[in-house]
Amino acid sequence: MWRMDHTDPDPPGLASVPPGGRGEHDLDRLLRRVARGDQQAFEMVYDQLAKPAYGVIRRVLRDPAQSEEVAQEVLLEVWRTASRFDPAQGRAATWVLTIAHRRAIDRVRSVTAAAEREQKTADVPVPHDEVVDAVEARLDRERVQRCLGGLTDIQRESLTLAYYGGYTYRQVAALLGVTLAAIKTRIRDGLIRMRDCLGVS
Amino acid sequence: MALFSHDLHVLTGAYAVDALDGSELQRFERHVRRCQSCMSEVRGLREVATSLAFAASAETPPGLRERVLQLAAQTRQLPPEMTHHARRRWSLRAWLSRHRWLTGPWLIWMPRLAGVTAVIAVVAAVVLGITLSDTEQQLNSQRSQSAAIAAVLAAPDARTVTGTVKTGGTTTVVLSAVRHDVVVSTSGLAMLPAGKVYELWLISSTAARRAGLLPAAVSGRTSPVLASGLAAGDVLGMTVEPAGGTAQPTSAVILELKLPTGV
Repeated sequence: MWRMDHTDPDPPGLASVPPGGRGEHDLDRLLRRVARGDQQAFEMVYDQLAKPAYGVIRRVLRDPAQSEEVAQEVLLEVWRTASRFDPAQGRAATWVLTIAHRRAIDRVRSVTAAAEREQKTADVPVPHDEVVDAVEARLDRERVQRCLGGLTDIQRESLTLAYYGGYTYRQVAALLGVTLAAIKTRIRDGLIRMRDCLGVS
Repeated sequence: MALFSHDLHVLTGAYAVDALDGSELQRFERHVRRCQSCMSEVRGLREVATSLAFAASAETPPGLRERVLQLAAQTRQLPPEMTHHARRRWSLRAWLSRHRWLTGPWLIWMPRLAGVTAVIAVVAAVVLGITLSDTEQQLNSQRSQSAAIAAVLAAPDARTVTGTVKTGGTTTVVLSAVRHDVVVSTSGLAMLPAGKVYELWLISSTAARRAGLLPAAVSGRTSPVLASGLAAGDVLGMTVEPAGGTAQPTSAVILELKLPTGV
């Protein structure tokens, strides 16, 4: 839902968001400026979120050319649909990165990709280690790594196969040879444990 | 039934990491709209997914930033979504806040007047409802067009292409091959003399099909128009035609934009 917010003047110091800092609150505000057609605000949103957006797309799709294409579509979608961002539903970063992950998944699940993928699943090794190894050094990485380490093996594998691997929970169940009911629960339990560990509300 | 909804509730995790698909996804989304606790749990779990995304951050390919910024500068943004529900609630609230005396603290001391206030509120709601339903009728056709456009933009296979018009200006096209729809917007097109319009065409190797007229430009941009019936291999064409358009192009084609209808 869209809110008209006249009591929210653009703060003067927005350009000085510390590099590498999360500036989450600022991102929410920036995105509202983007909705009003502010290209400079869009550049700042890009600089904060393009790397995680591209990173998560790349992790799901693997193929660099396809990932670049999807990342471009996603970032343009952020520009185009910024007015649909509703701060009451979550943070700006979450909104953008949810779109990024979904678009990557959409690409994976388009018919041809699905057929291709099905053939490949047999010889592709389960990539759960790579998830932790190949991530770029960032502040979040260590925390996430530590919290992933606190999960049971099956929780961690279910979660990373679903999120980074882009598999449906049914496919995850098949890959791990576990019942559907168990996988549903493991993914949820894993996320809840991660939530508590990361201290996000 | 209880078992069924518990079953659905456990899917919050799978939903938060986009691991649901097909009818199961639709069923869960219907459920979550009515389930406040599911919704807030999904929100929390999405935050975890966001951390996973940050942890996967990777260097972006060179040139991506420039391309995205350039495309953004040429892409019209969607207007904010004004749902039926939101408009009505907003209006009533605004009206009540403009007539604050109706809801003032004296109500506590004069309970009998509260009844009067309630009656006034009901009357106000009915009046507002009538006014709104009027406006709604006017908006209806516009809204169904907007909904169709939004559906193209949100289509999983939506692609964006831009092209330069020979007589000046650029055209941005978002297309969904699956939906057979194209959304066309332009900026900086040359002004036309009175009685002339820009007409769009979907051109195959054998024929040119009418794809609609561009509306008048506002601050140099035309608002998005929807053209249906996209077929594989189509090219988007544009010509200048007499007001009202023609059945077949009668002047030089000033834009030929290849549409990526393949996978």
